[in-house]
Amino acid sequence: MAPPAQSQRSPSRPQPSGKSEVSDLKLQLRQLAGSRAPGVDDSKRELFKKVISYMTIGIDVSSLFGEMVMCSATSDIVLKKMCYLYVGNYAKVNPDLALLTINFLQRDCHDEDPMIRGLALRSLCSLRVANLVEYLVGPLGSGLKDSNSYVRMVAVIGVLKLYHISASTCVDADFPSILKHLMLNDSDTQVVANCLSALQEIWSAEASTSEEATRERETLISKPVIYYLLNRIKEFNEWAQCLVLELVTKYVPSDSSEIFDIMNLLEDRLQHANGAVVLATIKVFLHLTLSMTDVHQQVYERIKAPLLTLVSSGSPEQSYAVLSHLHLLVMRAPYIFSSDYKHFYCQYNEPSYVKRLKLEMLTAVANDSNTYEIVTELCEYAANVDIPIARESIRAVGKIALQQYDVNAIVDRLLQFLEMEKDYVTAEALVLVKDLLRKYPQWSHDCIAVVGNISSKNVQEPKAKAALLWMLGEYSQDMQDAPYILESLVENWDEEHSAEVRLHLLTAVMKCFFKRPPETQNALGAALAAGIADFHQDVHDRALFYYRILQYNVSVAERVVNPPKQAVSVFADTQSSEIKDRIFDEFNSLSVVYQKPSYMFTDKEHRGPFEFSDELGNLSIGGELADDVVSAQRVEENDKDLLLTTSEKEETRGSSSNDSAYTAPYDSSSASVFASQTQIESAISNPTAAGHSPQASLAIDDLLGLGIPSVPAAPSPQLKLNTKAALDPSTFQHKWRQLPVALSQEFLLSPQGVAALTAPQALLRHMQSHSIHCIASGGQSPNFKFFFFAQKAEESSNYLVECIINTSTAKAQIKVKADDQSTSQAFSTLFQSALSKFGIP
Amino acid sequence: MPPLMGIEFLCRVADVLSEYLGGLNEDVIKDNFVIVYELLDEMIDNGFPLTTEPNILREMIAPPNIVSKVLSVVTGNSSNVSDTLPGATGSCVPWRAADPKYANNEVYVDLVEEMDAVINRDGVLVKCEIYGEVQVNSHLSGLPDLTLSFANPSILDDVRFHPCVRFRPWESHQLLSFVPPDGEFKLMSYRVKKLKSTPIYVKPQLTSDAGKCRVNVLVGIKNDPGKTIDSITLQFQLPPCILSADLTSNHGTVNILSNKICSWSIGRIPKDKAPSLTGTLVLETELERLHVFPTFRVGFRIMGVALSGLQIDKLDLKTVPNRLYKGFRALTRAGEFEVRS
Repeated sequence: MAPPAQSQRSPSRPQPSGKSEVSDLKLQLRQLAGSRAPGVDDSKRELFKKVISYMTIGIDVSSLFGEMVMCSATSDIVLKKMCYLYVGNYAKVNPDLALLTINFLQRDCHDEDPMIRGLALRSLCSLRVANLVEYLVGPLGSGLKDSNSYVRMVAVIGVLKLYHISASTCVDADFPSILKHLMLNDSDTQVVANCLSALQEIWSAEASTSEEATRERETLISKPVIYYLLNRIKEFNEWAQCLVLELVTKYVPSDSSEIFDIMNLLEDRLQHANGAVVLATIKVFLHLTLSMTDVHQQVYERIKAPLLTLVSSGSPEQSYAVLSHLHLLVMRAPYIFSSDYKHFYCQYNEPSYVKRLKLEMLTAVANDSNTYEIVTELCEYAANVDIPIARESIRAVGKIALQQYDVNAIVDRLLQFLEMEKDYVTAEALVLVKDLLRKYPQWSHDCIAVVGNISSKNVQEPKAKAALLWMLGEYSQDMQDAPYILESLVENWDEEHSAEVRLHLLTAVMKCFFKRPPETQNALGAALAAGIADFHQDVHDRALFYYRILQYNVSVAERVVNPPKQAVSVFADTQSSEIKDRIFDEFNSLSVVYQKPSYMFTDKEHRGPFEFSDELGNLSIGGELADDVVSAQRVEENDKDLLLTTSEKEETRGSSSNDSAYTAPYDSSSASVFASQTQIESAISNPTAAGHSPQASLAIDDLLGLGIPSVPAAPSPQLKLNTKAALDPSTFQHKWRQLPVALSQEFLLSPQGVAALTAPQALLRHMQSHSIHCIASGGQSPNFKFFFFAQKAEESSNYLVECIINTSTAKAQIKVKADDQSTSQAFSTLFQSALSKFGIP
Repeated sequence: MPPLMGIEFLCRVADVLSEYLGGLNEDVIKDNFVIVYELLDEMIDNGFPLTTEPNILREMIAPPNIVSKVLSVVTGNSSNVSDTLPGATGSCVPWRAADPKYANNEVYVDLVEEMDAVINRDGVLVKCEIYGEVQVNSHLSGLPDLTLSFANPSILDDVRFHPCVRFRPWESHQLLSFVPPDGEFKLMSYRVKKLKSTPIYVKPQLTSDAGKCRVNVLVGIKNDPGKTIDSITLQFQLPPCILSADLTSNHGTVNILSNKICSWSIGRIPKDKAPSLTGTLVLETELERLHVFPTFRVGFRIMGVALSGLQIDKLDLKTVPNRLYKGFRALTRAGEFEVRS
């Protein structure tokens, strides 16, 4: 658009009514169409621009189609582009015109200028009219063989577009294999990258129906392809690099030297100017080293600086995305950023979403050495102009207090907050002091002295008021005025609108009554009367309940309402470590930003097969564990590893009994073998026990299922299984991810079977005699979990089974996945009959 | 979908568009919709980012600048799309246009640093960091191969490079070896952590009682960097609970903007006195004391100094063309420089 269209402020003009302008344009276009005068392109351009601006404001200019096409027979690319935009717009809604368009575009596909060829091809494929796909095949085919890389690049994407219009046409024309050839041989990296993304999409979509596509998709992450791409990675542009790196994360290297080779090759990517490349590289590093604890720690060290740079440079959106990732990492390894806490100090003009995340980071990185500085900093935010952030930072101080051994200084700070006489500060601080007292009752004297001075009139927020009431009730023996404060509150019962506060008031009066009966008796009577007359059902019920229980027996009432309390050691974590792990698997995706695994915010049909499916959370770990277990040459090393982790675990547990606030972050920390075990335990042991039960370490001994060569078995008549089936754990894991659940059943075990199942090994040996091999197992009475696999004799068709057995209910749940879905029922019958024979001599 | 890929791409699109159109807003896009369309067409197809390298895009689609306007008038050729495909798409140096020719070969290297600092209520320097960029403007003929070395590369904490920088020489000898793109580009960005002091001090004092708050802010030079510090400014947001403010200074001008932002532009610090801002703030009627304290944001600029102390040692060219001019500059300005009160 060489003469810049300053004069062309079309939308601000008076809106043309349509008809007359269009016919006027038609006339002008017709005049220009045949003309060969110099400068004609300029006037054409002006006209085209007019046409398109009419089009964008919704005037139907489709009647100009013929003239437009005639006029575009020039070598001027801008004209062409505008014309393509025009025809592309009308072809969709007007099939008659589309046919005309196709002819016009097909002609341009043979133009001399590669740019025009490319553009025409792109427009042609963008028409997306289903009944015209036959016309696409020819130009695409020649486009893929074009000598100019620009055209090839466009053609590759064109193939993908064709696939989405009509998958069968695309596959029938054998385009995928042409793309594959191009991908491995083309000299232009953009073509290669486009091939890669197109193939990934096509084969993933095909994989559900065609076995060949599944195999092809597997070859994408096979060693030769990955190495080929990695060796050229520097030639790719930054976006294509992201694509390749994402692919590399799915590759499972065969040994550690391979891992180091890849990491060495990619190390300089961490210094790339594009944050997306950096983050993709980090993902590769983290995933490659998952099973190598030491290296994994070194990786954390290595990625620290690039990540911190990403946070502080770039747009706030970028900071936010990176901070979300940091938060995830810090949850797994709290110590990594503990000396870099200053990076998470909030800047004044950052948007509050970034500040909020930074506050979370500060809470997460706080440890013994930096708590003082962090808390000092947080306290400065309490006087922030931005009130939500001020509140958030007070809460952060509280959270840190709940994490630490040494809360001395923090308690002082919190008490200072209470004295700040700012209603929201007081409110937040009250809630925190309450939580703090629940965990550290030893601080009650200091706190109560300050809390006692707070006039309940200054506290308005229900949560804060409830907290204050709780303290009044709990520590009424230490607070001189407690009964009288409560009494005045009861008097103003009707002014209190929150049911939560009224409930707390009732309880507080009760507690106070047990401690100081004579002073509280009046208040209690009034409170119960008001409570019973209350409109709110819960308040009414509680008041009535208190009344009756007091009537029945006062000492029983005291035992119910005010039993001696144990200090709360850990406040429940909102997110299970399983979910956190799942999010970690989806590093560098929106899951991290949303803090949810992808299955929670995507529809089933949009989940790519590369993504994790619902039931896979535990399994990815099951597979890793199996990785440690089965590969025979590594068993020994791993044994040592396991021993080590066991003792480590014992240590953690020791400290956790003193102060379990540390348990959660430590347990879910990065040591991979270790983490995976914690995981499988948590998956297996009773869900309510949240996996950190002290007996869990015992389970490790039982966790190993070794693949001992099997005894020939008596196979069932319909289905013969390979007695010497072999499957390596990574393949298992991979297949489990990809295959859909063919069958899911629940059935009862025989009583003998239940009796025999004291340890997983017994069942493993039994199943092996039926040619069903175990790849991973775990758990202890009454919950056991197994992953089995079997192979069809004479064929390499695999069956994968997840089996959960509960011995207390004698129930077994199985999920079967199979390469060959049709035989999965037969296999399931076989599996069940094998299981039912367990324990019967 | 990797989130950063989306964000980075959108930022890139915005950069490219504003570079082409000299700004980015609704009107500009409406006026130049054809060029926007052309650019988007080249940058993304079917959801895959393609070419975003400005140098290459500029070759494919000429920006609508004065030069091309004049050119089109003179030559009568008004197409803003080059007739040939850019050579670089095929070359192995994707960021460099094929063989530019210059009569005068020039290369300029600028160190541009931003100082981020936080000074807390007690006047303690909580955090002080430099974020710096090495900006290069190169007009060199042919395919020049440059090596840039620093006198003290060890102070750099984390570095990020333009794709043209070769990794190995940096790894082994901290040398920046590269074939530059033509024109202006950001060769490298870096961070320097843990600086001990700031060039200027800002001492705010707020004392409030009986519904009034007395403000007194002093600004002065703390560590003379050896060059003049200019464009010193101070900005702060008045808390919402303030009814009116009466602020005066003994140097520079004070403005209170409509959104209760108070801005004090000082310029240079005079030799004879320390600039100070004094005045009173009147609080809302029921408030006795001020509970929310403003944060002062400081701006300044120092030409000729890179405060991190980073120094360029030398810039070498493998093949020295005739008439070569090399220029070096340094500049430090305040980034997120905050003083809390």
